[in-house]
Parts: sequence; C-alpha cells; structure tokens
Amino acid sequence: MNGHPQFAEDFELYTLGVLDGDDKAAFEAHLAVCAECRRELEGARSRASLLGLAAVQASPRSEVREQVLDRFRVDRCAKQPLQAPTAARYRRSPWTPLWAAAAVVLLVAAAWLERENRRLEAGLAQLQATHVQLEASSRELEEESARAQAALDVLTAPETIQVELAPVAARPVPHGKAFYNASKGLLFYAADLPALAAGHTYELWLIPSEGAPIDAGLFNADLRGNGEVILPALPRGLTAKAFAVTVEPAGGVPAPTGPKVLIGPVS
Amino acid sequence: MDPIARQEPARQDTDEGLIRRILAGDETALGTLYDRYGGLVYSVANRILRDTGAAEEVLQDIFHQLWRAAAGFDAARGSLSSWLLVMARNRSIDRLRRRDLASAGDPMDLMPASGFNLENEAARNEMVAQVRRALGSLPEGQRQAMELAYFEGLTQTEIAARTGDPLGTVKTRLRTAMATLKKAFES
Repeated sequence: MNGHPQFAEDFELYTLGVLDGDDKAAFEAHLAVCAECRRELEGARSRASLLGLAAVQASPRSEVREQVLDRFRVDRCAKQPLQAPTAARYRRSPWTPLWAAAAVVLLVAAAWLERENRRLEAGLAQLQATHVQLEASSRELEEESARAQAALDVLTAPETIQVELAPVAARPVPHGKAFYNASKGLLFYAADLPALAAGHTYELWLIPSEGAPIDAGLFNADLRGNGEVILPALPRGLTAKAFAVTVEPAGGVPAPTGPKVLIGPVS
Repeated sequence: MDPIARQEPARQDTDEGLIRRILAGDETALGTLYDRYGGLVYSVANRILRDTGAAEEVLQDIFHQLWRAAAGFDAARGSLSSWLLVMARNRSIDRLRRRDLASAGDPMDLMPASGFNLENEAARNEMVAQVRRALGSLPEGQRQAMELAYFEGLTQTEIAARTGDPLGTVKTRLRTAMATLKKAFES
C-alpha cells in the first residue's frame, strides 16, 4: 500500500484493463503526476498475473514442444550462414542404389540451397553496402548539423563582437572639400593625395559657369597626403560650376593640362 | 496428473542462466524453459480461449517471442515467470476480444518491474495452490467478477452488463476481491 489509499485496488484492476470511464481517466490522471504510484503499478501487474495460476492445469499436445524447438532451430539457422557439406564416409550396402538416388536428390537440393545462399549473400552484401552508404550520409548530416549549430551559437551569443572589414586599398583614395563664397573667397582642403614626383605640383581650378577654368592656386601634399589652398586670389563674384585638381608641372600652368585627380561639381 | 509436476525436469538452472544459454543458441535450454512454464502458459491460454488449437498457437507464439526478445531480458528488472503469465493472458485476451494489449512495442516492456519467481517447482506448486485457495475463498459474486475480468478481459461496465448487477456493486466486488487476493498473495 502506498501513500494514496484511494486507489488501493485500482492498480491491479487497471493492469487487467478492468477500469473504464471516469475511474480510468481519474487513475491515469493521477499516474501521470505520481511517480510512487507508477512504481506501484509495476508490482500490481505481477500480482494480477498470478490470477492465471487459477486456470485449470492442462497440457498441450506433446508435438507442440517439438514445434517450438523446430521454430527455434529454423530461426537459429537463419542467423548462421549455410555450411558447405562435409565429406561423408561411403560404405557399400544393399541400399546403395537407394542411397545413391537420395544422394542425387540431396545434391540437387544442396546445389539449389547453395545458389539461394549465394543469391541471399549477394543481396545481403548489397544491403550492407547501402547501410554503409547511409551511415556515411548520416554522419555527414550530423557533422553538418553540428557545424550549423556551432555557427548559430557564435551569432547569437551576447558577448560576440562584430567588426566590418573592407578591401585593403593599394593606396588611399584622394578626396577633397571646397568651401566657396563668390564674394568672400575659397577654402580648399584635400586628403590622401599621393606624393608627386619632383617637378610636379597640384593645381586647383575653379570652373566657372561660363568660360575656361581659372587657376585657384598651387599646393603640394604633405607626408600624410594632406594639402590645402586658403583664400587664393580670385576674381570676385564668379559663379562656380565645379572645382577640380590636376597634376601640373612645378610652377603651375594657366590652363589645365595634366591628369585630373579630383573633381567636384557644384550641386 | 498435474502437467507442471510431470514435465519438470531434474534441473537446477535459473531462468536467467537458461536465457543466456538460449541466446547462445542452446535449444536444450529452451526445452527446459518450455518444460518449466509451457504448461502454465498453455493452461491460461486454454482457459481464456477455450480452444486447444488456439491455445497451442498462443503457447508457440509466446515461446517464439521469448527467444526473439531474450536479449532484452533482465533478471534484475523482473521475473520471467511473471512476464510469461502477463504475455499468456494478454495474448489470449487479444485473440478473444480482438484487443491490442500485447502486440505493440517491445514485448519485454511488459516485464513487471518486480515479480514472483516461479522457477522452483515446489514454490510454483505452492503458489498455484495458494491462488486457487484465495480465489475459491471469495464469495460467489466476487469470484465471478474477478474471473470475468481476468479470463474474459471484460471491463467493470461490461461485467455489470453481463451479470445484470449495478455498476457500483460490480466495482465494490472487484475491489473487495482484489484486496482479499492481494493479502493472500503477500502472506
């Protein structure tokens, strides 16, 4: 008897399938939450089974024992490969023709069995090969799944840091910024400019809305690639369409001739 | 003559030892277990099915199942004799009622966690006598209800319908009978 006497005999009756309706539902609901009663149920199954001993003792036919053992032998043989026939001692007797006939039958049977055996073995080998393939596929899937999970773990962990990387440029891309006021003057700053070979200079150009580009000053890049032109002498009141920087011979030129390094239209 | 006594060979092997030998392919071990319990299994099946041919089929099936499931037998988990009795009853009720008590899943799952060890002939005969005495001592209504439950696989509602007694009366009879039997089994 356990700690739930309200179910006292229900254990045995339940294992026998006697409980039904609300009684069964209530008992199963209790079992679902009570480990003690689930253990009790195991003992109850054993106790209830003892009622079978009350059956009037009867005997099966003696052949049944042999049939049980025959079935066992067949099963056991099915688990073992067929054995090759071994050489048997041969002795002459008046029954020789009969034995010879029987031997022929046995040989035919043996040949058939041998063929069947080979066929089954071939089938088995194929199945084993398939099994090996399936196992390999299964392993690959498992490994892939493990890798996916590990990746997910990295992505979702709060302590994971995120860093963005960009291609490594062969050299920094030059860029510049012009501040222009038609009545007050021009400021120009450039960065990341490559150092120029000797005899060359950068030249800033103001490209007016009408007419040819106007020299807005010469400059060189320092060791960090920075350059500037501060308040160059320019005609007042010019409307600028764009600014540009070219590489020109040292001392500058009145009109751009060299390659454009920077250009920025007035938006 | 009691078939159990007649068929018992002069062997002292434990059920567990015999199972191990069966697993190794020893047919004499299976024969010994058959001699030990075949009569019990057949008697339960025959009482439930009332058909000797069907009972023999159940007997063969259970021993076939025993050999096939032998690897799952764990003596520490339960007794073979309890398992055989559970299987004999459930398989027979399955056939009788077309219910599915025993055929699904691993048959060793029906191995009771504890059980009565009936491998000793004297203990077995004593238990048979004890159960018969206990069942015989019950009032007629209780005994009939228990027999309908165990040997015919009826539910309490079906027993009430069969006997014409109120369901409440049947429940009381079954529980009272079971309480008496448990005391007798545990004594």
